[in-house]
Amino acid sequence: MDKLILNIIHRPEMVPEYAEKVTGHGKAEDLGRKTLLTESLDIFKIQQECAHKNGLKTTIQMTYASLFNDEAVSLAKEHHEKYGDEIALTLLGLPCEQFRQKYKTKDFCIWMFSMEDKMAIVDDVFGKFYERFGSYPESTGSYYMDAELINYIKGKYPMVKCAVATCWEEGPKAYHTCNNSWYTFMDGGPWAPWIPSKVNTHAPAANEEEDSGIVAIPHLSRDLIACYDGNGSNFGTHPQNVLRGMIYDTSTWEYPYLYNLIDQYRHLARYNNGYAYNMMFVGPGWMNKMGRWEAPYELLLKSYEDGCAYYGKLKKEGKLVDMTMAEFAGHYRAVKGYTEPECALWRDILYGSEKQLFWYCDPFMRACVNMDQGGAIVDLRPYAAKLEWPVGIGTPHIQDASYPFLIQEKYRAGYFTHYAGEGTVRSAKLCWNGEEVDLCQCRTKAHFSQEGKTRKLTLDPVEIAFAGGLRIKVQTVLSFPEGESVIRIERKLLESSDPAEKVTINEYMVGCYGTTEYTEDMSSLTLSLRAGDTVETLPYEYRCRELSLAGAEEAACVLPPIRTRVSLAAEGADKAGYVKEGYAFSPMFTIGYTGTLSEKEGFTTWLRLERAN
Amino acid sequence: MAQAGKGKLNYRCPSCFMRELDIDMFFDADKGEYYCIRCEYTGTEEEVLKANQLARFRYRDMLKRFDFDALED
Repeated sequence: MDKLILNIIHRPEMVPEYAEKVTGHGKAEDLGRKTLLTESLDIFKIQQECAHKNGLKTTIQMTYASLFNDEAVSLAKEHHEKYGDEIALTLLGLPCEQFRQKYKTKDFCIWMFSMEDKMAIVDDVFGKFYERFGSYPESTGSYYMDAELINYIKGKYPMVKCAVATCWEEGPKAYHTCNNSWYTFMDGGPWAPWIPSKVNTHAPAANEEEDSGIVAIPHLSRDLIACYDGNGSNFGTHPQNVLRGMIYDTSTWEYPYLYNLIDQYRHLARYNNGYAYNMMFVGPGWMNKMGRWEAPYELLLKSYEDGCAYYGKLKKEGKLVDMTMAEFAGHYRAVKGYTEPECALWRDILYGSEKQLFWYCDPFMRACVNMDQGGAIVDLRPYAAKLEWPVGIGTPHIQDASYPFLIQEKYRAGYFTHYAGEGTVRSAKLCWNGEEVDLCQCRTKAHFSQEGKTRKLTLDPVEIAFAGGLRIKVQTVLSFPEGESVIRIERKLLESSDPAEKVTINEYMVGCYGTTEYTEDMSSLTLSLRAGDTVETLPYEYRCRELSLAGAEEAACVLPPIRTRVSLAAEGADKAGYVKEGYAFSPMFTIGYTGTLSEKEGFTTWLRLERAN
Repeated sequence: MAQAGKGKLNYRCPSCFMRELDIDMFFDADKGEYYCIRCEYTGTEEEVLKANQLARFRYRDMLKRFDFDALED
């Protein structure tokens, strides 16, 4: 029977990120304020009690500050003995008097420090942990752990096997929600546990050689529609985040959404060979006595108690297994292979739209398919490139840890643009008698299946009615063959009101690259078409040029800044490849194929991602 | 007039919340109203609570419980 695996993590954060600002309003900053320290530890005790009374074990992630606190150390040891909790070490919670005096900075995000400081801080924190507990931790984490940091930790402390390593889709959206003041840019990673590659944390390892040696878990399990569309901090397995999103009944203090979210994660076992995972990690600042925004303390507490009680109920019903992080790392490596993808056919559980998104993640790509847009690919990250992307002071990306996209409908438009130019999307247009209908206009639903090592998404057929009278029914099937770095898309013309008529199909991908809403310099890109020995190239110069080639075997684009090569190949009647350059007002590229379709015929394309050297 | 402070709870601006911005409001004790320092919203506590309720308009399934075991794929 499928069971949800749960990691509950608590950290005794002596100076919670939020509590200092909130409880301290009107007071000058004082990290050693006794009331703050006492309250923080009390919250940790309450969180531990909530888990234990529901029969759930936790991973206690000691913070640097808590290692200076005898009571926090003693509690961790006691709970390890009594409840089997793991004593781990987080790189969150660095701020405290001792840290400030030693490092002379207010930086607190480990991935943003210089490499020299990262190493010094890790050695300091791990050393302090050893001093207090007589051994090194097996688990660690932060909001983000860059590859260089993980490699350093694993090299020097090989017993570390698990780490919290990213917050899913916490990037420009979270930054905006915080009035452009919260610099956690880490979009583009996996939403569920993975084995990071040595080169780029977000990109899963494809084999033992690429294996960083740890199992990474995401910070919270997040709503794969709501967090993609909106602020990531409102829609996760963090009860107070749900309150932050105001997703509760103010009169009854009930929040069925939280339970729906957990249950939908349980449901993901259907797409992942029986495996499903949840992580809950609430920092103590979210349960401070002053309340949090509109939510009084009593509601904050109730929501955490209810969250733990629901997990406890699932455990009692045999539907959930609680593990520590280190236990989970062992389990994950036992049940998952390197190239086995993570799949999620996610349903809207909040807005009442019945919309579905399909998320796919493996060592070669992360892709999102939107059924409200006829199965268009609306987000695409080329992990095949295993892009070197060091972050922190002294690197080209001090704060920006996001994995670059080729397609991102929210940041670089999608199907809809404001009457000029194009947005990034991978879709198809059906054309007849001078009319053109994009499948993005056709809402549908998907069905998941697995055939051998291929994951398939079969969409319900959609009807297209041309104004000239022709009506056709088209079906889309997307296939993700494991380990091949390819997405195969088959379109079939199932029915036509006039079988003698042919329609033109235009399979296209509009792409670009970047990590934010703002365009990057496209000048180094090169587009190309190939048929046999004929190769035609088009260096990107913003001149709105196009090339086409009958019978082309490939239409491609090389993007040196993200070391990526993306290409399309096709099979079908009258196929012709084409590439489009874009222009200053529409800084995109397009690769595509045209062909013809009659009733019962199909047209198939293969989108391939590779590292460009 | 003395400086503004926070109210008994730390209300966010409902107008900004609806455009996905979490902005703490300040309380003007002389006028008895909260105000946003980023936009032009002002309101009493009662008005803020009403506006917060309005912000939930998009959560049509907020109170619905789903049964995933009954779903077909």
